[in-house]
Parts: sequence; C-alpha cells; structure tokens
Amino acid sequence: MVATTAPPSKPPVVARASRRKTPMTRKRREALAAYAFLAPDVIGLLVFVALPMVLAFGVAFFKVDGFGNYQYIGLDNYKLMASDDQLWSSLRITGLYVVTFVPLAFVVSFALAMLVRNHFRGIGWVRSAFFLPHVVSLVVVGLIWQFLLVDKRGAISKLLAPLGLGDVSFLGTPSLALGTYVVISVWFVMGYQMLVFLAGLKDVPKELEDAAQIDGASASQRFRFVIWPLLRPTSFFVVVNSTIGAVTGLQAFDLVYVLTRGGPARSTSTVVLYIYEQAFTFNNMGYAAALTTVVVGLLILCTGLMFAFTRGGRFDED
Amino acid sequence: MKTRGNSTPARPPRSYFPILAHVLALLAVAPLLWVLVSVLKPAEDVFSFSWPSTWTLDNLQYVLLKIPLPRFLLNSALVAVVVTVVALFFHSMAAYALARLRFPGRGIIFSGIMSTLLVSLPVILVPLFLVAKQLGLLDSYAGLIVPSIFHAFGIFLLRQYYLNIPRELEEAADLDGCGYWRRYWSVILPLSRPVLASLSVLFFLANWNAFLWPLTITRNPDLRVIQLGIAGMQGQYASAWNLILAAAVIAAIPTVVVFVAGQKRLVDAMKTTGLK
Amino acid sequence: MSATPFPARPVSRRSVLRGGLGALAASAVAGPLLTACGGDDPGGDGKDLTFWNFYGPADDANPQSKWFVDLTTKWNANNDVKVNLRYIVGKEYLSGTVLQTAFQSGEGPDIFLISPGDFLRYYNGGVLQDLSPQLTAESKADYLPGLLEARSVDGKVYGLPMEIEPLAMYYSEPAFEKAGLSEADLPKTWDQTLAVAEKLTGKDRYGVMFETLPGYYQNFTWYPFLWQGDGAPIKDGKVAFDSPAAVQALKFWQDTIQNKVAPRKALGDGGGDVVSNLGSGAAAMQQSGIWAVSDMRTKAKNFKYGIIPHPTPDGGKPATDLGGWAFVANAKGKNPEAAAKFITWALGSTDAEGIERQRQWNTVVKTNVPPRKSVQQAADAKGAFGEGVLKKFVSEIAPTGRPEPRFPPEVYQPVADAIQACQLNAADPGKAAADAAQRIDTFLQTYQGASIS
Repeated sequence: MVATTAPPSKPPVVARASRRKTPMTRKRREALAAYAFLAPDVIGLLVFVALPMVLAFGVAFFKVDGFGNYQYIGLDNYKLMASDDQLWSSLRITGLYVVTFVPLAFVVSFALAMLVRNHFRGIGWVRSAFFLPHVVSLVVVGLIWQFLLVDKRGAISKLLAPLGLGDVSFLGTPSLALGTYVVISVWFVMGYQMLVFLAGLKDVPKELEDAAQIDGASASQRFRFVIWPLLRPTSFFVVVNSTIGAVTGLQAFDLVYVLTRGGPARSTSTVVLYIYEQAFTFNNMGYAAALTTVVVGLLILCTGLMFAFTRGGRFDED
Repeated sequence: MKTRGNSTPARPPRSYFPILAHVLALLAVAPLLWVLVSVLKPAEDVFSFSWPSTWTLDNLQYVLLKIPLPRFLLNSALVAVVVTVVALFFHSMAAYALARLRFPGRGIIFSGIMSTLLVSLPVILVPLFLVAKQLGLLDSYAGLIVPSIFHAFGIFLLRQYYLNIPRELEEAADLDGCGYWRRYWSVILPLSRPVLASLSVLFFLANWNAFLWPLTITRNPDLRVIQLGIAGMQGQYASAWNLILAAAVIAAIPTVVVFVAGQKRLVDAMKTTGLK
Repeated sequence: MSATPFPARPVSRRSVLRGGLGALAASAVAGPLLTACGGDDPGGDGKDLTFWNFYGPADDANPQSKWFVDLTTKWNANNDVKVNLRYIVGKEYLSGTVLQTAFQSGEGPDIFLISPGDFLRYYNGGVLQDLSPQLTAESKADYLPGLLEARSVDGKVYGLPMEIEPLAMYYSEPAFEKAGLSEADLPKTWDQTLAVAEKLTGKDRYGVMFETLPGYYQNFTWYPFLWQGDGAPIKDGKVAFDSPAAVQALKFWQDTIQNKVAPRKALGDGGGDVVSNLGSGAAAMQQSGIWAVSDMRTKAKNFKYGIIPHPTPDGGKPATDLGGWAFVANAKGKNPEAAAKFITWALGSTDAEGIERQRQWNTVVKTNVPPRKSVQQAADAKGAFGEGVLKKFVSEIAPTGRPEPRFPPEVYQPVADAIQACQLNAADPGKAAADAAQRIDTFLQTYQGASIS
C-alpha cells in the first residue's frame, strides 16, 4: 500500500464551483457539512427526548391529579421529599443495587469477552449462548427465574438441598431478594455488555499485542499494559451505561417488577419502581416528576464524578 | 506500518479457554432449556417438575395458527428493521461529524447528546406520548418507528470507532477532490462495517423486544408488536403460560438468527488485521 | 385548541442552538397548556364511544371475549351512538400505565371497567358519570344489598357491578389423599389450618398458600381475616387499624410462613393462580376466588379439588371478601349520557334478554356470583349453582362476604406494608399495625373527598 504522508498545511483548492477562494471557505464548509450531518439526530433527540424531558421536569412544580387538573405549587413537591421515608429507603436500595451490580456485570462480561475474542471451534454458538438471556423478553426471564427459584421444588432448591439449604427462598426472603435480583440482572445483561467489549477489543491492534509478546511480555502484562489502557474508553462507557441502566433502565424497573414487584417487604423497591408507583398507583404525577429530576440529578453527579475520577475516560483523544 | 520480520501466526487461545467457554455457555443457557422443554409439554404440566409425560407440539401450533402471531412478528420485523437502518444511517453521520469535523459548538453538542443517555422511557412516557400525539403519530407505524430512532448510545460507539480510524484514508480522499459527503459515503461507511454489525444486532433486539412504547402509542390490534401479542395471553388471574412460552420461543428465533449472522461479521472483521 | 407551540424547526447551523433553547423555553410554559387542552371534545354528542376493557376482542375469541363483542354488536345494531371496544392486556389494564397515560393527556375512554380500589381515585378526580338518571328503580332494587352502595356517593350510583367474586380456600384432593387425610380433616379454625398444613407439607409441596406479592390483590385477600375478628382499617371515618383483630390476622399469616407451611413465592401469576399452584401440586390448600373454577375448567379440567370457607380464629365469625369489577362512564367523555345509557342497558336491564345476558356472564362464560337477584333466580333455574363447588360458593360462602373496600392508595399502602412486613420480614404484628394506623391517621386528617368506607 502506498504510504502517503499528510500533505503540507496549505489546503488544496478543490476543483469545484466555489464562491470564494479564501481559507475561510473551507472552515465554513466543514462546519456547514458537520451541522448537516448532525441535523437529523440532533433534531430527533431534541423533539423526542429533550422536549419530553423538559415537559416532565416542568410538571414537577405542579400538583397533578392525573385527570388533566394542574395546580401550581412551586417547590412543595421537593419539600415533601425530605420527610418521605419510603423515598430514602428506595434510594438506599438502588444504591446497593448499583454498587453490587455494576462491578459484577463489568467483570463478568469483560471476562466473557476475553474468553471469546479469539476464534475457536464452536465460538459462534458460545457467543450466542451468552447473549441468549438478553434476547428473550423480560416476561419470560421473570417466569424462568420464578420457576428455578420457587420454594422447595425449584431446580436451585433441589441443587442446594444436599447442603441443607433446600428451604431457602431466594426471591421471598427480604435479606436475599436483592442479591438474587443482582445475579439475575447480570445473567440478563452479560451478553449485551460482552458485545460492547468485543467491539471495543477490536480497537486493540493485534500487532501491539503480538509485538509485546515477542518482547517477552506475559499474558497478564500484555493485559495490563496493552489491552486495558486501550480499552479504557469502552470500559468507561460500559460503566456509565451500566450505571444508568441500573438506576433507570430496563433492569431497574421491568425486571424487578416481574420478579418481585418491589417485595418482599419492599426489599427490592428501587427508586424507579417508587417513582412509577407514585405516578401510576398514587397518581401523583407532579411528585413523580420531581422525584425524577432528583434521580437524574444524582445520575449526572455520579457520571460527572466518574468522569473526573478517570480523567475523562480519555475518550476525547483526537 | 509494516510488520516486523516474519509475520507472527495468530496466537492460539490457551488450551483450556474453549472448554471453559463451552461449559459457561451451557450454564448460561440452561435456564432457557427449561423453557424449551416446557413448551413441548401439555398445558397442565407447565409447572410440574417432571420430564414431559408426552411430547406435544400443541402449544406451538396454537400460537402459530390460532392467534395472529405471524402478524405480530411481521410488525415487529418491520419496525425493528426500519428503525435499525435509519438509526444507523443517522448515527453514523452524526458520529462522523463529531469525530472528524471541526466546527463551533462541537463540545457542547456532544455533551448534550450524551446527556440524553440519562433519560429512559418510563421517565418521559407521558410527555413523549403528548408530543407524539401532537405530531400525529398516534396509532401508526410512524409512531412506532420515529421516536425509537433517536438514542445516543449508537452515536457514542460509532464516534469512538471513527476516532480510531487513521486519518490517511480520509486525507487521500480529500486529495482526490472528495467532498465531505463522498468521504463519508465511500470511505468511512464501508470501514464501519464491524461496528455497524454489532450495533445493528443491538438495535434490532431493542426494538424487537420493545413493549412499553408500542403499548402506549398503538391501539389498533393490527399494529401490535410481538411483545404485546405475547402479553395478550396473560389472563386476569391465570395466564396461559404454556402459550406465552411457546410464543416467546418463536419470538426469540429471529433475534438469535440476527445475532448469529451479525456476530459472524464481527469475527470476519477481526480477522482482517486492521486497515492495511 | 391543539395549535402546536413549537417554533418552526430550524435547520441552519447557527440557529440549531438558538432554536433548541427557544423550543425548551416555549415548551416549559406551554407544557401544562398542551396537556390540559389535548384530546377530543369533551361533553356533548359524540357518536363514537370507546369502551376499554381487558376481555375482548381477544385474539383467541374465547367465550368471555365473545360476550363483550356480542354485547356491543347488539347495542350498535339498535342505537345511533356506537360503542367500540378496545382490548387492553389484562396485566397492563390492572396495574399498568395505559389508563393513567390516557387520562392524563385527555384521551381517556368513554366507558371502562374499574375495581373497588379504583373508585375513589376516579370519583375524586371528577371523572365518573352519575348513572342514576338512566337507572330504573326496578333495576336498582334488583341488586344485592351493599353492592351499589360501594359504588355510590350521596345516594348517586356511579358504577354497575358485573359480577361478585367471593374468596374461599381451595384444597387438593390428591394432596389430602396422599397425606392420608380425609374430609374430616378440613380445617375450620386458624389453629387447625396450621396443624393440617404441617401434615400436608412435604418435600415438594406446601400445606397452604396465601398471596405474597405486594399489591391490591394481596390486601384484598387478607381483609377477611381482619374482618373475622371484627376489625377494620377505618370505622366511621376514623382509623381503627390498631386493634387486636388486625394484630391476630397479621400474626396468622406470619405463622404460616414461620412454621414453613406456606411458600414465600407462588408460581405463575401468584397466590390467586390456582392452575399453576394447586393444580401443579405445589400447594395442598390455596386461597383464591370463584374465578378459579372457570380457569380450572378450561386449563386443568381433570384436577380434583374442593372448597371450604375461610377458617376462623377462636371466637371469630366467618367472613370473605367480595370482589368484582364494574362498568363506569367517563363524565368528561364524548357523550356521558349515552355512555350511561349503554351501561344501564348492558348490565341493568330487567327484561328477559338482559337477565339472560347477565346469566351468561355470571355462570356460563365465567364463574361468579350474580350481583342481581333476578339473575340468580334464572341461574338457579338452569341449575348453575345446583351442586359441587359453585353451590357451596353461593350457599355457604358468599352470604358471609363483604364488598371489597374502596380504599384510596394512601390507605392501601400502609396496610400493604404491614402485611408484607409481618408475613415476610417477621416484623412484630403489634408494631406493624400501630405504624400503619398512624400513617392512615395522618392521611385521613388531610383527606377531602368522598367517604372512604
């Protein structure tokens, strides 16, 4: 392949009908092109994400009865939060869930990705197998685990019976339910995160690893000094996405609703479940909106801290 | 960059990796095998712990023939495919601009886009419904498709990918007199195949399994997507679990096919050692 | 009034940002306006009414779905104002977002179904249409006592019940036989229940099963045990939950779990799903409602079971809970009067056709107790309740029943938390009852709406 070096700094004159030939044209054209490329997504995001978000947040200043009656109450919804025990309890549960789920899912899916990145016989089916839990709908996931974990008769209980644990009800015991929910979440999500890692691992040029190996680096050294640093942007992104998912995503609501509905005795009542209750059971849409702003605010804080802590995840390299 | 000396052969994985992988794969999939077995059992035995007394295809037959499952599958396929294609198109354009072009406000726009990741559907359900209603998207395929296109996840991954593409290729195109569009279309897009493959799998899946938005935006029974169809078999007090599982098995097949096809592309892309 | 408040979509690069900000600002103000005035023209003479329900038209055209479809077909053939069914998946209708999203954006249905627990929310929101003008005196008198009162405020009737669903204890004949027990061992008291359940609990089965999933249904199934001791969450407008009756009822459910004779998690749809639990051998006795008879007939017809009334505590009196859904009309809908007319025709007609229609719903396509005396007579004439389980429901069980309370969420929640805490978290029943009572009391002090019980 012909190795071309970058041409000198003066930009070439493009043989097309252009209005002016001053250097400003190129910059302008580049900017215009960029906006044109960005337009569809930006407009779409504004209309279908940003706008509803603003509307949703606007409702936080009202008392809404669910039938179209709005009553402006300023910051009262926020003041209510301070004395809302259930809210603090659900924030604690969500926090617990996040700090156990995110690292566990990260490690598991990363390990799986490393396991299946290089070709071997049957790699296609193995990758599909890891991904399969994510493919079936949550109704089915809920049903599967209900069946496996049902008291006494479930497969898991049968497996643990020799250890004397046959009577333990994982989803029915308040102290165990959250942990069980974490494990099920990891099972559900691992294939998805594995896929993201696999895509990111492609950014790691094979030559670098091979070169390192030739230089005598062991497997763990290759990992630490070649793979891990190059994977940092992807890792950062996975952690951020995982956190957001754990707080407000599919697992935070749909999965827990199907498995335990927030029970037993509120031990798996995540904050999103609580917001949903407020909005659709209690019909306090205004309060639910206010709660949402708080949760999103906390998420921003969280990701901001992660960003600062990892020095921007180094995904702005240019 | 030239390779040094003799080319190193592809390193074989450690010998136990594949065995471990197969075992883990089996474990991951074991719970799902229960679903498969249960589907082939007579209706009353769904929750009994015995091996099927009789194997039967009744459940599968019922969901394929007695309820409009094929229609639901078609609706889901239509929506998933259109959303995936359009979204990948839009996202790759946006990611290209963010990764490669210089323009004022780039930082702000990127942060703005990333911040939309913080918002998930339940949070904006009611206002989004209102917006969609105002735009005339209620109870239509457009309503199912359009709002589902815009999500920052794909933009981020594509941007990451584009940041790592060497500049030489583009600059070559530039020298050849290509405008930005040509560069994008003829150079960048073909190079994005691996990441587009992964993303298409994820997008297809997300839209195939979508439930809450289709539930909210559609009323016409003919517009139902597969998850709504499956949910329709849930009774007030006792659901027809045998049918639900049968429908879920059938519903899972297309996504598995898409995944297997997509991940094969991944492997192929990995085999080409870079852009030389 | 649906002019869009958005500014023209900007495409040029400079105004992307400006336009964005402008849109944000405009919508922040327009938001409430937008939502308040969306939707169809309220009040007046719409000619097309929507009827949202969770029965039909269903894909498999089952009998219950067919009943609904036939109902509207009949009406539409004879009336100018047409009624159009919309089928919403059961679980989503019951505890999902569809209704709330619709009402919140002014797109609510004209006719729909509600359960007693929903009544006050809709009434206090000003959404229920008074059916009294269209309800004849004859029809009104035909309803069993207490049923209409539960859906009335100040004497005005706002909903017509379509059924009565009493709760009872189901028991599995195979399970009893296997444990060497007979009909004489069927428990009549709480203590007997715990004892018998112990004999029935084995390697693969639990002796007894109550609902453990939190929700309106769990509360609904627990109330009878409270009522047996003459307790109630609210009496005469004041909280009365902190009582010995509540404490003993909470303790009873707690004991079933602590004694390991009841599971913490049910299969399938939960504690009320007899097919998945009793029917699969997971439980020997299970509390559920009359609807299970129809479910067992269709999904597990070979399974042998029986029913007994709820066991009582020492000195307690028999009690059961009477659930059942009602048709209501949206006062802010397109044509509330026509909607009311439809409802009173569909459920309250006293002519032969109307009675037959009800009889079909109550005894043929679904099994439950008819809410009207004339329908009961017609059903008896056909022998619907002549023998077996259904006979027991009507003769022994339903008469001891009280209608499901219409507590708003703020009363439901503390009770639910108490039940969950005692049943699954081994909390002290006395303290749990006291905590719940306090929360209910706090709520009652600021409550302004129709009377709760």
